[in-house]
Amino acid sequence: MSEGSGSLTMDEKQKPAFIRVRGICKSFPGVQVLDDVSLDLHRGEIRGLTGENGSGKSTLAKILTGLYQPEAGSIEIDGKEVLLKGPASAASYGIIAVSQELTLAPELTVAENICLGQLPRKKLGTVDWQRCRLIARDVLARLNLEIDEQAIVGKLPIELRQAVEIARALSRNAKLLILDEATSSLSEAATDRLLTIVEEMRDKDAAILMITHRMPELYRSASRATVLRDGKVVDTVALPATSESTLVRLMVGREVGDYYGARTSAPGDVVMRVRGLDTDGGVLGGASFDLRRGEILGIAGLVGSGKSELALAIAGAIPSTGSIEVAGRQLKDRSPRGALAAGIGYVPDDRKAAAILPRRSVVENFALGWMDNVSRYGFMRVREERRRVNEASADYGVRALSEAVPIALLSGGNQQKVVVGRTFGRAECNIFVLHEPTRGIDVAAKSELYKLVQAEVDAGAAVIVVSSELPELLGLADRILVFHRGRVHAEFAAGQVDEETLAAVAVSGTDSGMDLAREGEAMWADITDGASPSLR
Amino acid sequence: MESTDNNRSIGLAKKSYVRLAQGKQSGLLIALLSVCTYFAITEPIFATWGNVTNIVSSNSSVLILAIGATFVILIGQLDLSAAAAAAASGVAMGLALESAAPTVVAVVLPIAVGVAIGLINGALIAWAKISFLVVTLGTMSILMTIALVPSDGHTISVFGFAGFGPIASFVNSGVGPFPVLMLFDVLLVALAIVVLRFTKFGRSVFAIGSNIEAARLNGIHVTRMIISVYVLAGMTAGMASIVQVGRLTGASPAVDMTQLMTVIAAVLIGGTAFSGGEGGVLGTVLGVVFLSVVQNGVTLSEVSSFWQGAINGCILIAAVGLGSLRGSGGRLGPRRRGGRRGRIRA
Repeated sequence: MSEGSGSLTMDEKQKPAFIRVRGICKSFPGVQVLDDVSLDLHRGEIRGLTGENGSGKSTLAKILTGLYQPEAGSIEIDGKEVLLKGPASAASYGIIAVSQELTLAPELTVAENICLGQLPRKKLGTVDWQRCRLIARDVLARLNLEIDEQAIVGKLPIELRQAVEIARALSRNAKLLILDEATSSLSEAATDRLLTIVEEMRDKDAAILMITHRMPELYRSASRATVLRDGKVVDTVALPATSESTLVRLMVGREVGDYYGARTSAPGDVVMRVRGLDTDGGVLGGASFDLRRGEILGIAGLVGSGKSELALAIAGAIPSTGSIEVAGRQLKDRSPRGALAAGIGYVPDDRKAAAILPRRSVVENFALGWMDNVSRYGFMRVREERRRVNEASADYGVRALSEAVPIALLSGGNQQKVVVGRTFGRAECNIFVLHEPTRGIDVAAKSELYKLVQAEVDAGAAVIVVSSELPELLGLADRILVFHRGRVHAEFAAGQVDEETLAAVAVSGTDSGMDLAREGEAMWADITDGASPSLR
Repeated sequence: MESTDNNRSIGLAKKSYVRLAQGKQSGLLIALLSVCTYFAITEPIFATWGNVTNIVSSNSSVLILAIGATFVILIGQLDLSAAAAAAASGVAMGLALESAAPTVVAVVLPIAVGVAIGLINGALIAWAKISFLVVTLGTMSILMTIALVPSDGHTISVFGFAGFGPIASFVNSGVGPFPVLMLFDVLLVALAIVVLRFTKFGRSVFAIGSNIEAARLNGIHVTRMIISVYVLAGMTAGMASIVQVGRLTGASPAVDMTQLMTVIAAVLIGGTAFSGGEGGVLGTVLGVVFLSVVQNGVTLSEVSSFWQGAINGCILIAAVGLGSLRGSGGRLGPRRRGGRRGRIRA
């Protein structure tokens, strides 16, 4: 299939492409992952590559970096056909990838990491450390990064580590930089910084392939986006001329309709009162708020603002002090068991580490939350369990080969549906804390999940959504609390606030969002890796 | 991977998954049959009923210990003190018989000692949060020494004591052609399978081994479960010691380290994942039978028994190695940091 040529201007057609991918096919046992994929990339272009999970984006990236060999098709660089035998061979053509999984050596310094694999030598063959440091300093300066080249990589915040990866790519004179969901673990501010760096690289005539399903990033940086669906190129469209809904329709292959769904119910009585909630280490310091029946309460805030700790503390996953009152009764047992007994269900942010039993079946994963409901005198009622799982599986739209397959074989979106379905299916729970509920899942699955949440709230539940995706909070929540330094800093009702204001308040810690730039710089220094260490 | 037509694809895939699940043990089963065929041809005694009952009786204690070890390995841990606990329980039983205790005491005491040891192991691991390797290595070392003290390192002979009679006749008698021990083993295995597959306890064992944090967040009482699993392992050590003392008519205070190796090897050969959360008792039974048959055959072939450990080691590495080569364990297992993730499609 050729690219949708309608959106190409004459000018772009005349310039010879840096890399031409022609008719790439790749299959894994039972699945055609890429089917006749063609793609041209020019120097000085940022190209978005987008599509649902499983559409073949990452596989294409792996072929371009030599990690996979295609079964058919060709790759031309500057008009010459090349064979990419592995990452080293791809790097020799200037193709460097930065992925969400960092490939840095955490024990080494920034300079050592940047030069790793191409360490400068002295005459006798010993390493020229001084030149190594100079190279690193030079690259970091070119990217306007104020990172000490002698710092140990493992001690840097994650966004700076990602920046070091990009610096390394730059030091290798990357002619094609592939960003494979490189921003998925970054905060908004860090993402902004990285996109600026990437745009500078584009201005220095590098070609950039940006794989992401984050719309704001595509619209900000990419001039065109190629959409993959089921391993085929659906279209290549110009940005920002193409609307978000068109892009989503191309990815999903049908109209998604109302993306966030809707509710008929209105918030009712207060079901949970939180007063002066603190956690050890002081990340959370005196958080207070109410939650009502039939309400979705959104929690926004930067990494380190305490929003993660709030979710963990309410769920009993980490110890906390202060008052949590559920239906008028004090919650004394601050363990997950205690929270569950009080009717608080929790969907963790890290699916792999804290939610799924990767090797166990879909049935067991569902039933993990229902064991008391589907057992009698300690014995599982297998038939009842099976029936309920089948029912939930259909209700929550879980697409799996069978309910007997290990859950690790399902896509992220389907795994998340199981986790959410398990939690909502707990008979004793009517308050739910959803912690980054749509992290790492694709657009269609997100929309399905939003509608499931809305339906649950319509049925009388109260939901807290803790999320770093502001559009999600704006689309779902009745009220949004912005956390800053461990407490509720601002509160907005639905429709009262837009994304910019919310982001500004979260960063600045002032309602006005004034002095945003200066505060933003200061924040940059405090931002730390927020991957809830207490869980490990 | 995914299908929009839920119902139809489930029916189709169930069959193929069942096939796949059987495939996990089919390799071991084929190997077992081949080994049996070989010995049946080369050693005429091998295929006699007498030899079969001999294999069963002499490996009964290993099987009982291996059932306990399966639970421990399923939660992703290891009980290095199993064999030492059996020896200590045996000594307790010997001492009881020596001081003219009745049969009931002689049976209950070693089990109680095993349970106590399990309780100590479990409490130190789950409450004091000390690594299971450190705790069980420690208790192993302690028990090895303590067991030697009362009898000054000598085997306590229980032959002729009044309380021992019923135990000896239980261990050595039979129902029709079947030794009582064989029936006892079958009963124990069936019980363990039911517990693992059809009880909340069993599900919790798998959940903890698969993802301990997910188990905790879903309200499973993780500390209580870990302690219970070690208590269960201790209980099997007590039972194994009764069988051992009954068969040998004496309690040896010397810990048989090859017994510990055999027990762990059997569980792993049977397909229980070292990292926990996957496997089961049926596989363990196959593992024990396989190792026992090989040992028996090798003995019949008049190969020096010194080679037994080397043979077991080769079998262990080959069986577990082939299992992970086939990818069933490796693909779904947790990867090292920085390695590529086990996603099917990303």
